[in-house]
Amino acid sequence: MNAPQDALVRGEGITRAFHRRGGLFSRGTPMLALRGVDIAVKRGEAVGVVGESGCGKSTLGRVMLRLLPPTDGRVLFEGEDLATLPAARLRALRRRMQLVFQDPYGSLDPRRTVGAQIADGMVIHGLATGAEAAERVPALLRQVGLDPDHAKRLPHEFSGGQRQRIAVARALSTQPDFIVADEPVSALDVSIQAQVVNLLADLRAELGLALMFISHDLHVVRHLCDRVVVMYLGRVMEEGSAAEIFRAPAHPYTRALLAATPSLRHRGAAAAPLAGEVPSIARPPSGCVFRTRCAFAQPRCAEAVPTLESLPGAGARRIACHRAAELP
Amino acid sequence: MRRSSIRALAVPGVLVLLVVLVALAAPILPLADPVRQDVANRLSGPSAGHWLGQDEYGRDVLSRIIWGARVSLTVAAVAAALAAIVGTLLGILGGYFRGLVELVTVRVAEIVLCFPPLLLALLVVTLLGPGAGTLVFSLAILFAPGFARVAYAETLSARALDYVTAQQALGARTRRILFLTLLPNIAPPLIVQFSLTVAAAMVLESGLSFLGLGVVPPSPSWGLMIRGARASMEQAPLLLFWPCLALTGTVLVLNLLCDRLRDVLDPRGKAAGRPGFLGRLIALPPAPAPRQAPGLLTVDGLTLSVPGPKGPIEVVRDVGFTLAPGETLAIVGESGSGKTLTGLTVMGLLPAAVKPVAGSILFTGRDGRVRDLLRLPEPEMRSLRGRDLAMIFQDPSSSLNPLLRIGSQLAETLRAHGVRNGVRDRVIGLLRQVGLPDPERAADAYPHEISGGQRQRVMIAAAIANGPRLLLADEPTTALDVTVQAQILALLADLKRAEGGMGMAFVTHNLAVVGEIADRVLVMYAGEVVEEGPVADVFAAPRHPYTAALIASMPEGDAERLTAIPGAVPQPWAMPAGCRFAPRCTLAAEACRATAPALTEVAPGRSSRCLRWKEVA
Amino acid sequence: MLAFAARRLLVSLGLVWVVASLVFLVIHLIPGDPAELLLSQGGIAPDPAAVEELRERLGLNEPLWTQYLTYMGGLLRGDFGLSLQDEHPIAEEIALRLPRTLELVGMAGLLSVIFGVPLGIAAAMRAGGALDRILSAWAGFALSVPVFVVGTLAVLVLAQQLKLVSAGGYVPLARDPGRHLALLMMPAATIAVGLGAVVFRVMRSSVLEVLEREHVRAAQARGLAPAAIIRRHVLRNALTPVVTVVALHLGSLLGGTVLVEFVFNWPGLSGYLVRAVEARDYPEVLGIVLVISTLFVLLNFLVDLLYAVIDPRVRHG
Repeated sequence: MNAPQDALVRGEGITRAFHRRGGLFSRGTPMLALRGVDIAVKRGEAVGVVGESGCGKSTLGRVMLRLLPPTDGRVLFEGEDLATLPAARLRALRRRMQLVFQDPYGSLDPRRTVGAQIADGMVIHGLATGAEAAERVPALLRQVGLDPDHAKRLPHEFSGGQRQRIAVARALSTQPDFIVADEPVSALDVSIQAQVVNLLADLRAELGLALMFISHDLHVVRHLCDRVVVMYLGRVMEEGSAAEIFRAPAHPYTRALLAATPSLRHRGAAAAPLAGEVPSIARPPSGCVFRTRCAFAQPRCAEAVPTLESLPGAGARRIACHRAAELP
Repeated sequence: MRRSSIRALAVPGVLVLLVVLVALAAPILPLADPVRQDVANRLSGPSAGHWLGQDEYGRDVLSRIIWGARVSLTVAAVAAALAAIVGTLLGILGGYFRGLVELVTVRVAEIVLCFPPLLLALLVVTLLGPGAGTLVFSLAILFAPGFARVAYAETLSARALDYVTAQQALGARTRRILFLTLLPNIAPPLIVQFSLTVAAAMVLESGLSFLGLGVVPPSPSWGLMIRGARASMEQAPLLLFWPCLALTGTVLVLNLLCDRLRDVLDPRGKAAGRPGFLGRLIALPPAPAPRQAPGLLTVDGLTLSVPGPKGPIEVVRDVGFTLAPGETLAIVGESGSGKTLTGLTVMGLLPAAVKPVAGSILFTGRDGRVRDLLRLPEPEMRSLRGRDLAMIFQDPSSSLNPLLRIGSQLAETLRAHGVRNGVRDRVIGLLRQVGLPDPERAADAYPHEISGGQRQRVMIAAAIANGPRLLLADEPTTALDVTVQAQILALLADLKRAEGGMGMAFVTHNLAVVGEIADRVLVMYAGEVVEEGPVADVFAAPRHPYTAALIASMPEGDAERLTAIPGAVPQPWAMPAGCRFAPRCTLAAEACRATAPALTEVAPGRSSRCLRWKEVA
Repeated sequence: MLAFAARRLLVSLGLVWVVASLVFLVIHLIPGDPAELLLSQGGIAPDPAAVEELRERLGLNEPLWTQYLTYMGGLLRGDFGLSLQDEHPIAEEIALRLPRTLELVGMAGLLSVIFGVPLGIAAAMRAGGALDRILSAWAGFALSVPVFVVGTLAVLVLAQQLKLVSAGGYVPLARDPGRHLALLMMPAATIAVGLGAVVFRVMRSSVLEVLEREHVRAAQARGLAPAAIIRRHVLRNALTPVVTVVALHLGSLLGGTVLVEFVFNWPGLSGYLVRAVEARDYPEVLGIVLVISTLFVLLNFLVDLLYAVIDPRVRHG
């Protein structure tokens, strides 16, 4: 295991299966959303998880918080296996790990005031009585850049960007060490996206939060994260420092993904787009899952699953490719 | 609750309350004893002592009707309440925990639904014998699965919602999630179900009593009264009429309340009203038909409005642009900018609520004739759609009819515009042209059998089927993954090269995509065009602060911090008086807040709606 | 498609078995001795010897397991036992009366669909217009009148007062087809008043919902004529909820015709059922309940098949 020992949260060999609803007597075919994923987030570090739909990035976020149990593998929080913790300990530990969702409209209870929802975490974990918690709400609202007097309002009175700030305030209310942000800006307009990205960057710097930032938008990830994990069809393709990966993507998939992302700066320079589409996770290709769309695929890519290995001469960078050494 | 909701509920609510109050007040009202017989005066008509007459035993009909309401309402309400409590509990538990719990709660409850309702009630009556207690029990058994089903379905969908997951992530106990978060949010459909159940229980109770298997005589009950009056209907038809009226009236009022409750509490099922395409209303005054128009499409002064609570709201104001043959124009803007509505107006596909109030859309068709699309009668518009004008939409998975084969949907497009021979070959050819790997097989496939990117290719094939002059693409890649987006953009570029004179209007929110595909760009903000010009020039040197800020806020540069635009897009009913961007603009001055700037030409082929465009760096 | 049908059929048969077992359990697990209950009419304690004799005759003295096997074995052979009142084979009586009830339900369903579906479409097309308002108000009213009230008032007005039709009764089809149909129409139309209103409402809201869908707008953008859009892109998509509702209601009607048959003296299953309930004739009641429930389950099976015909996504699971 290469993961550094001082990791705050670490996932080891995480596999997660979903069952398509079968008939009355069969469980249906298992679909592996995640297959043997290793990931670690250090204190104060921001790790970006990128990939297209079906790559398992959202599932990974939920498994890391044990909102979904992994089918195989384990998640360690400060070295403790979340699966073996008694229910009460796990509930108490939830104070320290929080989640921010993609959809700012679905993530807030439409029938309760935003103040009550921000206070929830403090009340649940006994950090404050109801009245004390309500007193702390204005400060939290101010911290995320909202009017402290708006605690008594209902979610529908706020815009999408404001709701996302409220969701961040709710996550911050328990003073967590670790936050998983699942596509927190992809539902927002461009001009609002920047506001929320900046907010997350500021809070991370201010509070020393460890952040797992899940996104399909490479540019946002590059902006916010120290390290990046690129996923495809339930497996990690490449991992390394954000600056390095963007400067010189190594894995054929990372390269294709970067090339396909439209950019204001490199207009019209797009190479021939990647052929085909992401295969269904119910019927993944054998061997390397990317081989069906890979320009460098060879017969041996169909035979064995490539392991994530350090790229020769590139330090912390690791890629899962049989042809790592031969790539042009 | 809003005032309109209260008004909607007022009439049926007051009526239901009235029925309940009369029933409750039965013991204190000056009524005759409902069971005292007076055989001498049997079947006598209305009199001063007996307003509604006397029944076959000479009992007072009015008194029996009011006391009967008491029995019917009590049985129905108690049964519905019991069913609601038990059913809701089973449904919530089953829906939240799934697995084994679901099996023993919801699935078991559903077995009850295998029995036709009246039959089940009769079975219970057989086992326990008739009587009010039996009635309540059997009705409760009967209706509990209905509640379980609603609660289960609602819990299932609510459970997947982020705010419930958020409670789990916060570490809340299950009990807290179930009763503080889930229950209040699934309550509305359950309340509707409750009022529905009370009405259904009343009908069933009276039906059983009518058969002589419900309420035991001589207790008054509407069903029993109808049963009794049937025998003497030739002598005294009115006796039949009164209980029928009472029963129907009460059920009607309850159902009405239920309908209104559903509209107020659970607005999902409510459709938006008259569908748009059945008669496009041409509300604009006719304008002189132009002979010549610059370019392929010239939109001028287009203004769209929707009805608001305080008069019409202009959602698109004074939009104008020109599109030359073979040119690609990108219309870019955030949500609420009016970019999609502008596109739909060109196609004549606006939702019914949105009305064009000013402007013109001049379009040069394949026949060289210039038409004002805004004033074109629907039949003529229809013959242009799909032939001269074509459109592709944002979500390829909902733009195809899931029940029809792909080939058949393409074929109908060809046939609608007069192609009669070799349709199948044309279809296959089109599918091949848009790069589907196995066109023959794809033509016979249903939409769900192919991937999202392929579906968008099919939509493009349908759009180009009749060789359009103008292709409108409304966010055609937004729902797709980036690698697939790149493929679709490449395909569109190829098609444009192949079809020399075809113009394209590409609606998008993504500036980077604009750079990939468009020749010129039209930037919209809050329903107005704020800047227009060639893509390269606009990106290199924007002449409107909004364009500049939008470009700066793209997370592409190496800057530590992104440049964010403060605030949010103003709501259409609360537009600033002056420049609509002024409240968020770093350059805004007094003049900007006072006067709305006009779109002015700032360079040949470039215009900006800004008073201080010279200062935009 | 075949695999889908087979799977569905298996589930349905399983359900029938569950229902049959449940019915068996209900009679044996409820407190009180069925034999004693049956004989204790009028509140007089029955003669213990008579109870014992009846218990012996019903096989109630056997172990529960044996009774269950005997019961299920009988069902498999189509044997529902003998009536307690006249020792007439129950299966025979059901076989005689069931077709009449099915005929009534079928005709009522047909009438409801014939009127409900086109009117529902017409109302949705002009949602908010005069026709829509009138039809919707009528449907709201028709839904609220209990079926036996409709029937009783129809008899009162049409038969008693206006003497237009006879008050009810039954003539076998073979004897006089015209009269048979005439007598069938009254109860069927009575049911169709409420059922037609249900079909109308569902059809209307379903069409309205489909009209809002993206693929309808896309079809319009391809230049299709309104008639073609309605026919190809709206109606078929709007049909699924209607099928569900009609099936559900036909199912409840199988039992619910009791009231209508009672009002119009239609000698279907219900007269038999009411007599059985009044006399607490368990074997009879159970036989009828079982037959109707099985029909209900099979009807649901047919509906599932119909879905698969309408919607290719269902076929492919």
